[in-house]
Amino acid sequence: MNDIKFLDPALGHEPTPEQWARSRAFVERTMAERRVPARRGRMLTVGAVAAAAGVVAAVVVPAVLPGAGEKAIASWTAMPSARTGEQVMPQAATCGAGDTGGPPGKVSPSDVILAEQRGDMTLLILRKNNGALVECLSVDKDRFASMGLTDGVTPPPAAAPDSVTLETRSSAGDGDNLWSNIVGLAGPEVTAVEIRLDRGKTFQASVRNGWWGAWWPGPEGGDGPDTFTVVVHTARGTTELRPSQLP
Amino acid sequence: MDHQASEQRFRALHQDTFADLLRFVQRRVPDDEAEDVVSTVYLTAWRRLGDLPEDARPWLFAVARRVMANQTRGWLRRKALDVRLTSTEKPQGHDESLGAAARLDLQRAWRTLSAADREALALVGFDGLTAEQAATVLGCRRSTFAMRLSRARQRLQAALEPADTRPTLQEQS
Repeated sequence: MNDIKFLDPALGHEPTPEQWARSRAFVERTMAERRVPARRGRMLTVGAVAAAAGVVAAVVVPAVLPGAGEKAIASWTAMPSARTGEQVMPQAATCGAGDTGGPPGKVSPSDVILAEQRGDMTLLILRKNNGALVECLSVDKDRFASMGLTDGVTPPPAAAPDSVTLETRSSAGDGDNLWSNIVGLAGPEVTAVEIRLDRGKTFQASVRNGWWGAWWPGPEGGDGPDTFTVVVHTARGTTELRPSQLP
Repeated sequence: MDHQASEQRFRALHQDTFADLLRFVQRRVPDDEAEDVVSTVYLTAWRRLGDLPEDARPWLFAVARRVMANQTRGWLRRKALDVRLTSTEKPQGHDESLGAAARLDLQRAWRTLSAADREALALVGFDGLTAEQAATVLGCRRSTFAMRLSRARQRLQAALEPADTRPTLQEQS
């Protein structure tokens, strides 16, 4: 094993004084954020997904909506209510008018791929005019955060018929108001998806039109190690997968 | 733990692990992305300070691995987080007893390995982790990692064997 050491691209690298200074300053800023009461209206993205350049632009777009995160978290429900395109047209219109995933444009109910409601938060996956798919999270009619899922050029590969993929997971929020988001593709035989957090909570994700998604209060979406299990249901049974096992 | 004690612990953690964590990330992503990844790891560590094990380095590496893997997600994402190969022919600090020809052979052999094999070898050979710590980084059992490492070593060794000493398919049949 000693022989391979010379292949090490970081062999002998030591952080420069500037790198130490930047990192120490970041650590101090991070601790200072926690010292003061959570500031309303500020969103901090943690562990958000940035996908392959040129293929999928996955960007959480923080919006300055005072209290939106707190309001969404306070009203969260473990069981989502499915929503039709018509029912979420106000949110879809706002989502389509944003510049995430492509230029702003008008959308119709048939452009809504998946929509769910948990308390005050609406989660939807929308096809924009350029064919790109975007995910938008809204509180009331206001867009809260959005994320590009596909670029409209590269067709998404199908998930296995009886399983799901994980395309994005992230956490966002500030202080005690962290929340997580997860989205993936679902095979045609998948009837339901549940998420079971290691801290004990279990809740239902939404599955529709080959996609699945959910959001929940807590940091797990942006955590490094696996801290939850994805439970995939089909007519033939149930499969439990940790996030790192998902393609 | 009160806030002051938490801050002291976090500063000490940063002091003890920053250089190793930066190198771990630099081995896997371009230098201009490495510091952002490291910052995200420490942000997560601060948030989960109460959950950090005593041996925090593998835990931090596991978080870094997740952050980097997320950055490669998408339709073209890689199945494993690959380890970069040093770009210099004669890097500083290499074993002088290893001749130039042997180094070239090793580089060629390294390139023939799968990303998963390179990752297993790098966790021990570059990052200096024990099998137990490497298993923590990969989120698998120690025995699973030990088997993976053993097979990666065998494949590296096989790739280093001179081609003319290996039996051909015809000879085997």
